[in-house]
Formats: sequence, structure tokens, C-alpha cells
Amino acid sequence: MGKEKLIPLLAMSVLLIGISSAAYVHATQVNKDTISINGYDYTINQLFSMGTMRTIKTDEGKKTGVALDDLMSKVGVSCLSCHSYIIKAKDRYQQTISWDIMQTGILTDYGRVYFPDTAHTFWIRDVVEIQVK
Amino acid sequence: MDKMRLFAGILLFGSLWGFSECIIGSTLNEAGLPAGAIMTGIFAVTLLVTSRLLYRKPGMQLGMGLVAGTLRIFNPFVGCHLCSALAIMAEGAIFELIWYKIDLEDLKTLTTQSSIGILTAYLVYAGGYILTQILTPVISGPGFYLENLIVLMPNILADGLLPALMGGAVLPATLLVKKIDISIKDRLYYPTTIGLSAFCWLFIVGNWMLVNL
Repeated sequence: MGKEKLIPLLAMSVLLIGISSAAYVHATQVNKDTISINGYDYTINQLFSMGTMRTIKTDEGKKTGVALDDLMSKVGVSCLSCHSYIIKAKDRYQQTISWDIMQTGILTDYGRVYFPDTAHTFWIRDVVEIQVK
Repeated sequence: MDKMRLFAGILLFGSLWGFSECIIGSTLNEAGLPAGAIMTGIFAVTLLVTSRLLYRKPGMQLGMGLVAGTLRIFNPFVGCHLCSALAIMAEGAIFELIWYKIDLEDLKTLTTQSSIGILTAYLVYAGGYILTQILTPVISGPGFYLENLIVLMPNILADGLLPALMGGAVLPATLLVKKIDISIKDRLYYPTTIGLSAFCWLFIVGNWMLVNL
């Protein structure tokens, strides 16, 4: 097959991959108002009433929210430093965070986590789950 | 083509790419628009293809990615500086891989031009996205976890659709450059390329210093 036929076929293939992936992502998006931590669902208000507040300084200014380390303790995670924590977003984006980093982080009232000393890729928006691993 | 002339071209096109990523990309991001897709599908494809057409030197676009990515680190505006910088550098390298086998003579029909635009934009965007997801956690410390990337793959493959469509329209338009004679006289070439590059760097780094120091 010549290039003049192969190249359009490849282009069609990547478009089909993109379209089918978009349909899959849309169909599997998580839509819920609660955050699941260690298997239990909590509203943001519940989490804010459980944990202590912390203000951290980031390169985007000061951010205030509930301290993640305190939150993990309050929701009953045993041996906090023995685990890593997978923080998952509504759009399936997720990052694995070690306890050392969790101790510096916060969860804001708009469902975003911030860590002062990490790249922004770890500042996950629209958090729906924190899995204790 | 002598090496100094090529180096000045890399510096100019890389600086323009980095400058547009910092200024236009940040503005689009602040406006809630898909900045990454627009920047790759329109700006990156235009600058990479234009430089390829004008200089016809494989390897140049890799250098452009390094220059643009370095400038992006100094972005004074919000955003993930490291991830964006790594993605841009990766995009330059991926463009080189895709275009290694593409002869400019292959780009005769509109269908082929558009198809190569789609392939280039999709693969550059998705490849840059994947590489930054791997490299950012490694370089910034927390470490890379394959499961996080696997879960994100459908999103990456889906997000590549918009830049692909843009690339399909932008590349045929960019190829019109071939028909325009924009050769610059030798005595003006270096002052123009160095002057424009210096402006891009001074503007971005100056703003970065104002914000951070």
C-alpha cells in the first residue's frame, strides 16, 4: 500500500481511537457529591467538621482546607505511615501520594487537594475518592 | 546551511513557541479553554511545520522543543511549570520521530496534508501527555506509578481528538508558507532572529522575576 493511501487510513484510525475513547470517558465519568475515603462516603461538610483546618503557602498563593493527615487519622486509618494513598478525581485522573507528602496536604471546600512542595500535577481537582493502599 | 544560521533559527522558533505557550496558553487556561489542545493543535503544529519547511533540517524541532520547554519553566503565570515544560520538550522530540519518514514531496494532496496534520497533532499531544505523566512524578520526587497512567489512558486518547482536528486544518494552511518567499537578507537575519528571541526571553524571565523576587 502506498503512502497516499496509508496516511489517510492512519489518520482515520487515530480519529476513531479519539472518538471511542471520548465516548468511553464520558460513559464512565463518576458523578457524585461525596468523597469516598477508605471505603466510606463523606460529604465535604462532614470532612470539614471532622478534621482540623490548615493554611499552606503555594506558588499560587495561600490555600486553606482540612489537613489530609488529620483527616486520615479521623476516618480511622490505622498505621498512617504504613500506607500510600491514591487520590482519584471525577474524570478518573489519579495520583499516588506517600504519607510524607500527605502530611503536608489539604483538601479544600471545592474538592481540590494541594501539597505545597509538589508539582501541580499532584494538585488533583474534583476529588471523589482517597483510597488507602 | 551553516550551523550558526540553524542555531539562530532554533532559538527564534523555540522562543516563539515558548512565548506563545506562556502568554497565550496561560490566557486560554485562565479563560477555562482547552489550552493544551489549542496550543498543540494550532501553535505547536504551525511553528514546527513552518520551521521544517523553511530550514528543512531534521533535528531542528528537537532543539526548538528544548528552547521552548526551558522558557516555559520561567512562566510567571499559574500552571504546572514542570509538567508543561516536559510536555513541550517531548513534543519536539515526538515531532522529529513522526516527520523522520515524511518527505515534503508526500504532501501534495489536501487529503494527505490534512491526514499528516491529524497524525502529527494527535501523536505529539498524546505522546507529550504520556511522557509528562511519567517524567513529572519521577523528576519532582514522589515517583511514577504505572497504574495511574493506565487508568488515565482513555482520557489521554480522548483529549488528543481536539488537537488532531485542529492539526488537520492547520497543516494545509501552514503549507502555504512553501509558496511564500520569506527569505531574509543575510545582514538582517541575525539581528532579526536574535532580537525577537531576546524579546521573548526578556519578557518572560522579566515577568517571572517581578512575580518571584
